[in-house]
Amino acid sequence: MTNEPTEPSGATEPTETTGMTEPSETPEMPEAAEPSAAAETLETTDAAEPSEVAETPETADEQEAGARPDAYPRFRLGARIEHFITMTSFTVLAITGLPQMYSLTSPIARGMIEFMGSIQQVRLIHRYAAFALVLGSVYHVFTSVYRLYVKRERPRMMPTVKDLYDAINMLRYNLGLIDEHPKMPKFNFGEKVEYWALVWGTAVMTITGFMLWNPIATTKLLPGSIIPAALAAHGGEALLAVLAIIIWHMYNVHIKVFNPSMFTGWLPRDQMEEEHALELERLEAGGDPWPVVPAPELGRRRRIYFAVSFVVGAVVLAALIWLFTFEETAIEVVPQVTREVFSPLNATPAP
Amino acid sequence: MLSAKAHHRHIRALLGLTVIAALLLGTLALLQARTRTAAAQTETPEQDPERATQDPADNANCLLCHEDSAEEIVFPDGSTLRVDVDPAALAGSAHGIHAEQELACTSCHSPARYRYPHPPPEGDSVREYELIQAQRCERCHVDPHITSHPGPESDTPVVCTDCHGAHDVATVEAWHEGQPVGNCVDCHVAAGVELNRRPDLQHVIDEGLFAGRIDNDYCLSCHTLPNLSLQLDSGEILPVTIDENRFHASAHGTDNEWRLLQCVDCHEGYSFPHEPVVAETLREYRLQNYTMCAECHEEKYEATLDDVHGDALAEGNENAAVCTDCHGAHYVETPDEPRSRISITCGQCHGTIFEEYRDSVHGEALLEESNPDVATCVDCHGVHSIPDPNLAAFRNSSPQLCGACHADAELMAKYDISTQVFDTYVADFHGTTATLFNAQDPDAPTNTAVCFDCHGVHNIKDPQAPHSGIKENLLENCRQCHPDASENFPDSWTSHYVPSLEHYPLVFLVNWFYRLIIPATIGGMGFFVLTDVYRRVRLRRKGAHGDERAD
Repeated sequence: MTNEPTEPSGATEPTETTGMTEPSETPEMPEAAEPSAAAETLETTDAAEPSEVAETPETADEQEAGARPDAYPRFRLGARIEHFITMTSFTVLAITGLPQMYSLTSPIARGMIEFMGSIQQVRLIHRYAAFALVLGSVYHVFTSVYRLYVKRERPRMMPTVKDLYDAINMLRYNLGLIDEHPKMPKFNFGEKVEYWALVWGTAVMTITGFMLWNPIATTKLLPGSIIPAALAAHGGEALLAVLAIIIWHMYNVHIKVFNPSMFTGWLPRDQMEEEHALELERLEAGGDPWPVVPAPELGRRRRIYFAVSFVVGAVVLAALIWLFTFEETAIEVVPQVTREVFSPLNATPAP
Repeated sequence: MLSAKAHHRHIRALLGLTVIAALLLGTLALLQARTRTAAAQTETPEQDPERATQDPADNANCLLCHEDSAEEIVFPDGSTLRVDVDPAALAGSAHGIHAEQELACTSCHSPARYRYPHPPPEGDSVREYELIQAQRCERCHVDPHITSHPGPESDTPVVCTDCHGAHDVATVEAWHEGQPVGNCVDCHVAAGVELNRRPDLQHVIDEGLFAGRIDNDYCLSCHTLPNLSLQLDSGEILPVTIDENRFHASAHGTDNEWRLLQCVDCHEGYSFPHEPVVAETLREYRLQNYTMCAECHEEKYEATLDDVHGDALAEGNENAAVCTDCHGAHYVETPDEPRSRISITCGQCHGTIFEEYRDSVHGEALLEESNPDVATCVDCHGVHSIPDPNLAAFRNSSPQLCGACHADAELMAKYDISTQVFDTYVADFHGTTATLFNAQDPDAPTNTAVCFDCHGVHNIKDPQAPHSGIKENLLENCRQCHPDASENFPDSWTSHYVPSLEHYPLVFLVNWFYRLIIPATIGGMGFFVLTDVYRRVRLRRKGAHGDERAD
């Protein structure tokens, strides 16, 4: 559920103007035609957004990959950085969190804690990683706003009814009930499930994590039993997330077929064909991977966006730091209560 | 010529041999003479002008007058002394014909003084005369044996001749046979001094006077005297009377598995008269003497050296308990019989804590109901290697300490106490932290609450009882470590309840939510993945067409 901070990277398909790729259209073009299509797309993109910082580093990458006839652009560098932040912080959180959860029952968990130093150390690392995850999530919100407002991308991560049909048809196809592989858009139902699971999971983990970290403040407003409930939810959600990553994400992008797009930004044609046939058709029909906004309009929107996001960002960052240093839950060390222990009741008996 | 020459040669050789033999013989004779002189010198007693080496045959001279006389010497104070001597008694005495070296009268009564006519006797009274004469015994018996009688420096001395007699000195055999015991009795009756342990008198004589190692009865012949005591420099009284029956009933007494402990097993090398007591105070005396226990109980003793008492003692705290403070000295009893003895023993020094404990759920059961299971002091603190309870390690391991009983299902079933108390604590944030600290970093100080932070240390009450104070004081307790805690805060601890619809329903529901949602989600994903695997395998087997479509 973590691997998909992809929404902002996917630009709204300008279906009204460019795409209109219907499944009925001839999908297969001669191999030679593809690179030119891709190259044109890239050129347009580059030309249209020459000054966009987020995409400038991509150019070399895309040109290099563009020489390959059998790959199509999928993730821009910004999206891959977001994925990297999420992947790293999620992994650290899992490695430091699960051993805490199972420390009483599993010797492996204890060994891991010992390996990482001590329980305090593990808790400290967990909290730093939590800060990174939350920071990454906030950053994702900002980039999403940029894509939705400045670039006017269509929110392609939104679930649709077609996703439901895709899922059912995929299942039917897998079981051999139908012969046609469903044709899916840039983000298919499986990826959407993962994305929204990540959103949900991060929200649950952040809120319950905050409660566990700041129980004094939490119980000023909420009943005390919210803390053990938060602990239960934090643990349950963590287990759900880690298992989902292992079963769903690992299978789909590593085991089934290795999907290189999160590292290179490009997806091979065969995988495009299987998993994102609609997107492939749109690109082959000359569609832009990401929408093109005319320069003057782009500049105007970006000025507004950066002005607002600078102010909001500063406030949010300050709020985050405030939240992450919220309370002094407990004193450092329980004070020693020393007392006079020698208080003889009677004299020591005779010899 | 030849024969004459040979003859001469023979004579010369003979002469030479004779000279050599003579020289050898001379040397031998000289050596022998020297050895003899040396032997004679060692045999010769120290030269004492009054001491004579008279021949016993000369006794006849003395006995001419002294054998059969009715004469009496009258001393200046009017007391009289008969002068007759029974030659048969003299001959049968230890100094008589059975002796290794029979003594003559003049061996004791020096001839310098006892020429005839005799000068007037020494001393103003018969007693003074006896005291003076008794000193002569020490000329030969230079190291008088131990006795518990007052010596010559006393106002009422008991001297050699009082017990042993003068001319009729009893032999060792006679003493063993008990003949002279009558002397003791007569003398004590005459002097009006109660004869302690009279039935054991013979034993005391045998063991105390003739044995190499004195036995208990010998010691007890004095130490059972009532109110026997010493005053120390501090003015404190050190009682030294021993209650024999209590001693024999003690762990070291007659029923002891090993053997009856001897006084000198502990008081090693003691004899009479005793070395003076050097301790200035009672405490000093006890601290000087408790190490005797280590002679046999070395392991226990060594353990105490590093424990909280041993450390305190090493730091100069003289009040720190030593072996005898807990076990007693002469009346050592089985320390845990009855079980309440344990805590009462600790209470001797830790009175305030004992009073708290006495009112606790454990203390009440122990002291009032003789409960065999409740914790006594040593169940938590240990016995000979008692750790300092202020150390972080003690705090960190304390849940395991309580859990040793409170997580024991069989034991707790007897009292209808839930063993969940331990599991629920350990599963909580505090309990997990304490458990991990104890397992991984036991000496690190923690800020996590352990059992006794809420339940109390020595004054633990039944939490179900009204006014047990645990629930009432919970917020206050929380605030010791969480100063800003609000009134809602204590509820964040589930009070040892396993969440249910009744207790902590929110936690219960969250747990159930994930118990359902995790298998549902993961199962669904797994199912989808399996169908995907199935399709891939199936299409691959189908051949070219399948491959094209699937991959």
